[in-house]
Amino acid sequence: MTTKTFSKMRNIIVSLEWHSQFYPKILYTLLEHNQTVIMKSNIGHIQKWILRSGILFCSMFILLFSQLCIAQDGEAIFKQNCAACHKVGGGRMVGPDLIGITEKRPEEWLIKWTKSSQSLIKSGDADAKAIFDEFGGIMMPDQALSDAEIKSILAFISSKSTASTASAETKPADAAPVHSSENATPDVIELGKNLFTGSVAFTSGGPACLSCHNVDYKGVIAGGLLAKDLTTVYSRLGGDAGLLGILGAPPFPAMTQAYKAHPLTEAEITALSAFFYSVDKDTVNQVAGFNNYLLFGGGGGLVGMLILIYVIWFIRKKNSVKKDIYDRQLKSI
Amino acid sequence: MDVRSQVSMVFHLDKCIGCHTCSIACKNIWTDRKGAEYMWWNNVETKPGTGYPTKWEDQEIYKGGWEKNGDTVSLKGAGKFRGLKNIFHNPHLPVLDDYYEPWTYKYQDLFTAPEGDDQPTARPVSLVTGEHMDVQSGPNWDDDLGGSPDYARQDVNLNQLSEAEREAMFQLERMTFHYLPRICNHCLNPACVASCPSGALYKRGEDGIVLINQERCRAWRMCVTACPYKKSYYNWHTGKSEKCILCYPRLESGQAPACFHSCVGRIRYLGVLLYDADKIEQAASAPDDRLVDAQMDIYLDPFDPEVIKQARLNGVADSTIIAAQKSPVYKFVKLWKLALPLHPEFRTLPNLFYVPALLPTMATVANGVYDSTSKSLWNGVESNRLPMKYLASLFSAGDTGKVTEVMKRLMAVRLHRRGVTVGDLNSAEISQALKEVQMDGSTADEIFRLTSLATFDERFVIPPAHREESIEMLESTADVKGNTGFGFKRKPERGL
Repeated sequence: MTTKTFSKMRNIIVSLEWHSQFYPKILYTLLEHNQTVIMKSNIGHIQKWILRSGILFCSMFILLFSQLCIAQDGEAIFKQNCAACHKVGGGRMVGPDLIGITEKRPEEWLIKWTKSSQSLIKSGDADAKAIFDEFGGIMMPDQALSDAEIKSILAFISSKSTASTASAETKPADAAPVHSSENATPDVIELGKNLFTGSVAFTSGGPACLSCHNVDYKGVIAGGLLAKDLTTVYSRLGGDAGLLGILGAPPFPAMTQAYKAHPLTEAEITALSAFFYSVDKDTVNQVAGFNNYLLFGGGGGLVGMLILIYVIWFIRKKNSVKKDIYDRQLKSI
Repeated sequence: MDVRSQVSMVFHLDKCIGCHTCSIACKNIWTDRKGAEYMWWNNVETKPGTGYPTKWEDQEIYKGGWEKNGDTVSLKGAGKFRGLKNIFHNPHLPVLDDYYEPWTYKYQDLFTAPEGDDQPTARPVSLVTGEHMDVQSGPNWDDDLGGSPDYARQDVNLNQLSEAEREAMFQLERMTFHYLPRICNHCLNPACVASCPSGALYKRGEDGIVLINQERCRAWRMCVTACPYKKSYYNWHTGKSEKCILCYPRLESGQAPACFHSCVGRIRYLGVLLYDADKIEQAASAPDDRLVDAQMDIYLDPFDPEVIKQARLNGVADSTIIAAQKSPVYKFVKLWKLALPLHPEFRTLPNLFYVPALLPTMATVANGVYDSTSKSLWNGVESNRLPMKYLASLFSAGDTGKVTEVMKRLMAVRLHRRGVTVGDLNSAEISQALKEVQMDGSTADEIFRLTSLATFDERFVIPPAHREESIEMLESTADVKGNTGFGFKRKPERGL
């Protein structure tokens, strides 16, 4: 096996980390694929099996171990999953400031909320509904975390809260750095656009936004449909502050995986944020209700065609010639 | 002159007893298959009646046949533009209900039903869906005037008649019917062939049999509507259309078609007619009152040396010319002028001719008195029980003169034979009847002989097929000389 094959294998395993049920199958497929290479290098049957089992075992071990490591560090998990929208002390961002949250709410409620806020709201919890409404109806993404992981996060928040209250001072430096997209120069917007479309690559090599997202903006070709349309994302996700958090550590599972190894730089985030502001305000390119036009236009066209067909073939044999006979016979019964 | 040969037919309706043996013979050989159960390539109808499929003669419903269009004819329901427009939806196509839903009975239930108070019954089962069904109609539901308010009174040919004449036809003591057996007419100007978008239908060169190439048929079903006689049927199982093939495998081996062979009343005659293909268009586009005459002009005298010469030039085999000279069809149609085509107004120039049934009045009822005495023996042709207008609508595009003439000829033969065998008639009356139709006694005897006493070989004069020559017209048989002796349609999977 070559080094290249190994690194390819690792990449695939990493990118499919959260689909843990696929591991054995993926590995097996990879091994099958490499079998020809092994056979060419004249390794005997037993050696081949040892190699295959070894690779399988090592991969499983690495994966399990890495997960165990994560589970032990509440601060790391917080930064990974929560910091995009939340702070512990220092004010609200997209989501509320979590300072003192462990005293305000029971742990059980917090775990439920973290796993699926929407389910909690649907179950009729008044507090959950109130929070959801307070934060402008922006739902908190469901977090695929275990109870233990959530507990470790809560432990971290709780310890940080105590420390903050003990020092009893607010740190202005901790507040979200305000970069005002309203005042962005055209150059910055242009850079943001280029980063979005992929004309300019991200420094750390992350994929361009366009591959999964679409915006309606002049000079930008139609983007991917895999993820949400970002035309109005600036106003939707809480302006500069929200975008900064989300782009710094994306909370959405697919995005988390895509940018985990390739974080965006501060300058890139600023540029993208400026670009999204510009897109949001440039309503000329936004076609409102386009889908409905298509729907009603198509429906109308269909009805029109049917009417046309009915008119063209109006003179036709509409019934069986025996219809009158059958009708009369049925009537006489 | 473009002389060609055509295997043609005569059905003598006076002899048909309506036993449907022909239909069964055909069904057992050709249409006893899945998807073909509803087809009757040969069927026997009662006239007056609506036939099968119901009202097939009404071309305002089915748009079959040709229409006169200036000096030529064009298809009534198909053609280039209309064919293209309707290619995915043929608006005048008959549906299964216009024929009937074929069925069988669950006979097994008679044996396997559990014991109970009632007799076990064999319930009808559809041959299309396999479900139980209530039988609503069959292929001869109007047989022998059955259900005449629904069927006989709806006969399209009655449109020519006045209300009073129509009523008279259904009065007791006057009511009558005759049978009309029908097969494909193997027309000279077939509308089915003209309508096919795939070119799957063709008229065989050597004998004029109209066939559907099952490999080229693409199920457009234009032939089903275009045939005014509704003798092309769609097989819903194979997805191909089918029609009467005049039992060509039997003809090629010198046997009469199954329906001819099995005919109990010996009403059917088969033989070759030579015709001039150059005159087809002209005959098909003749005005209505000249249609029958124009068609008769197409058929040539097989004894005429010029005709024989031209026929030979055209590749017609000598044996076929000899068969044409012996043809009973030539005698009935051309020599004796006793047979007429069915619905010549469809302009397809059909090659099946009918000798109409005489159906004379035997007695009259006046003031409640049944009176069987009359001036002449059978009261004369004019007081025939079926109005001449009705027969003219069937056989001569409405020309009553044509039908009356044929009837008078038939009557003359009958009177002449009465004179010979019984001798109770005034000889002046007989000679007057013969003179009126310009017939001599020996001709009348000949007609009598071919009508009543003809042997198998006299009724069916089948020309040798000469398939080898027909094949050589399409491909060189030398191509396969020196090969294995027989070819393969699909290459065998073994061998070298």
